[in-house]
Amino acid sequence: MSLLLKNVSLPLAHFTLEADFAMQRRVTAVFGPSGAGKTSLLDLIAGLRTPRSAFIQLDNDVLTDTAKKFSVATHRRGIGYVPQDLALFPHLSLRQNLLYGRKSGGTNNSQFAFDHVIEVLEIQPLIARGVTELSGGEKQRVALARALLSSPRLLLLDEPLASLDAPLKAKIIPYLALVRDEFQIPMLCVTHDRYVALALADEIVVLMNGKVMQTGPVSEVFARPANAEVAKFVGVETLQPGTVTSVNEGLATVTVGNVTLTALAPPPASRDVFVCIRGEEVTLQRDAVTASSVRNHLSARILSLRPEGALVRVELDAGFPLFALVTRPACAELALREGENITALIKAPAIHLVPR
Amino acid sequence: MTSAEWQIVGFTVWVAALSTVAILPFGLALAWALARGNWPGKSLVETFVTLPLVMPPVATGLILLTAFGKHGLGGLFDFRIVFTWRAVLLALSVMSLPLLVRSARTAFEEVNPRLEQIARTLGAGGWRVFFTITVPLAARGIVGGMLLAFARALGEFGATIMVAGNIQGKTQTISLAIFEDVQIGDDAHAYHLLGVSVVLAFIAVWSSEFFLRRKKTT
Amino acid sequence: MDTKKFRKYIVLLAVALMTLSLPLRAAEITVSAAASLTDSLKKIAANYEKRSGDKIIFNFGASSTLAQQIEAGAPADIFFSADEAQMNGLAKKSLIDPATRKSILGNSLVVVVPGDSALQIKSASDLTNASVKQIALADPKAVPAGVYAKAWLEKLQLWPAIEPKVVPTENVRAALAAVASGNVDAGVVYKTDAAISKKVKIACEVPRADGPDISYPMALVKGSSQPDAAKKFFDYLSSKEAGQVFTHFGFLLKK
Repeated sequence: MSLLLKNVSLPLAHFTLEADFAMQRRVTAVFGPSGAGKTSLLDLIAGLRTPRSAFIQLDNDVLTDTAKKFSVATHRRGIGYVPQDLALFPHLSLRQNLLYGRKSGGTNNSQFAFDHVIEVLEIQPLIARGVTELSGGEKQRVALARALLSSPRLLLLDEPLASLDAPLKAKIIPYLALVRDEFQIPMLCVTHDRYVALALADEIVVLMNGKVMQTGPVSEVFARPANAEVAKFVGVETLQPGTVTSVNEGLATVTVGNVTLTALAPPPASRDVFVCIRGEEVTLQRDAVTASSVRNHLSARILSLRPEGALVRVELDAGFPLFALVTRPACAELALREGENITALIKAPAIHLVPR
Repeated sequence: MTSAEWQIVGFTVWVAALSTVAILPFGLALAWALARGNWPGKSLVETFVTLPLVMPPVATGLILLTAFGKHGLGGLFDFRIVFTWRAVLLALSVMSLPLLVRSARTAFEEVNPRLEQIARTLGAGGWRVFFTITVPLAARGIVGGMLLAFARALGEFGATIMVAGNIQGKTQTISLAIFEDVQIGDDAHAYHLLGVSVVLAFIAVWSSEFFLRRKKTT
Repeated sequence: MDTKKFRKYIVLLAVALMTLSLPLRAAEITVSAAASLTDSLKKIAANYEKRSGDKIIFNFGASSTLAQQIEAGAPADIFFSADEAQMNGLAKKSLIDPATRKSILGNSLVVVVPGDSALQIKSASDLTNASVKQIALADPKAVPAGVYAKAWLEKLQLWPAIEPKVVPTENVRAALAAVASGNVDAGVVYKTDAAISKKVKIACEVPRADGPDISYPMALVKGSSQPDAAKKFFDYLSSKEAGQVFTHFGFLLKK
């Protein structure tokens, strides 16, 4: 399956959505903050909005080509859509909702057989209920089933967990994974929730203010954000401006404040950088460090301790603001206290430099 | 009530009902076009559709008489329109159309466009979406509008007398009959028809309100 | 200003307004007259206003409607009807001064067709032809012109054949207009009406022998607010000058 988007341009309220990417892998997440234009992008692919310019091709079929004034009507694109507000038809029964997209005479594709879909998404117990009586999570599954039962060749999902609370989120993600695995259907999922991206996607497209900032495998993007904005969004705890003073054999010396760090060499021709350090990558140690493979030992003072579930977020002053995430037991074991001094250890490969 | 009076009542109800059905396709199409999207000339069409509501009915009747009389469209065809029951149908339709369009338009505007869009992604073409999603969800407003149009048609006078005349047994509606009865001094008949007119109008408007009343928002 | 002074001013203002609304030296007379008299009476009134300084206000319409209005209390100083029946109705209810009642005008009926019509209607029986589909008459139930026409056709025993084709109109001028617009095939109006309109042509005249006796009675209405001025104009209507205008428009003067 391949989805190609070229020269996409759509003026929106505060900015113009522009996109140029190809989706090859099975599940792609379009990842970005609210208002980045993600829903508009899905609308374009489904043919629900007209762009100023665009070339959209799904497998061998050209869906939109503004240069040739060509556009396939929405109902002929064969693209399933699960919108953020789910849009279940309130005047139809649950069964009628599910079967709305069914072509008459059933479908050739046995994987989308009615019973199979119902079974996978566990809708059978709900079938007698009215559409308005369902809970948020149940509605989600029904909307998903309805889209699947129309035998789509691509499935678009808009913020699939947006209206759900935390426990429910945890429940729905497995269903989505199941859909991905059972039905082997390509999915394009729009979300601002990094757990959805991490859990479901093979590939990620980062969309901010209507522009594609970065594309690539999920782990790659999260480990190496392309710029400061992406870094902030994917959740890098420490983000500080720095200057590269020298580069030697693939390693760079960076000054942050009055502290010198060793990091992996940044992209060429960047002296001014942002230094990105994930909280998980910072190790705290009480005793003085003697011989260690870790290149960066920083003397730091603990400014605050904040429990976050099973972890504790430690705010440090290491010559610059530094955040560390440690487990609760570790925090107790080390008897960490505000105002105390501690040593922070950061491996060179964990310090990511982003051009400024 | 004499049988002649019942004939007048029957004729009026029949033509009013026929006019409500006749304006339905065009009225719904117009309401839908006005509810969705912006297109050039939209405000002009909006204004024209509202005109029969505010212009003097006799003025509208005069326009119809000129347009459909001998020197207008009526002269093109062999069958007569003016001064026949067809002119009554025409007058009632034109005068009640704005009421249907206004109610139906509001009803269509209240249908979440997202539902129509998702229906399209599920493979439904324009007509299917309209008849399986839009219309059922707008049904209350549409029926309310139809009843309002029917009530208006029942009471129509000015345009009718201009374009159809007051011909007993052929074009005489309840309102036209009351007018004539008063003119020739037959007050008893006039009051009979007046009573029927009030009852009919009351029923029509009351049931219309029932449909147009907003559902309590949950 | 304080309340006392304010009230004084209000009273003065009210008195001033009332004084202003009193009739001026010149009188205003209201005449309810049959529609067929429209053009002739307007001319006569114009002549009269020049020499007397009084103002004549006309209310033209079907005599039946006008009589109804007077019965319901409409302010009219003179009633000029197109048939005796309507005047009789008011006389019975003592609404007119019977001493002043007189009839000075007559008229004749004609059959008219649209100016561009190809129909040949030489006599009443031609009206029963299939080619004549709709005939405009002032409402034969009450309006004099229509009542006269019906009487004529009943006399010739043609009414049952013609009645289904009749399009009744509010008054005789409306019947004339219907024919002029081409929306009906023929109409029966007064000869004086046919003369007014260029868009109709006379197909045939109703001979005096066949036609009913058309009479235009007029009378002073009781309870007039201007009895003297009304009487002056009323007498003027019978004058030679007025008679000349009536004849000019095609009315017959009764002796």
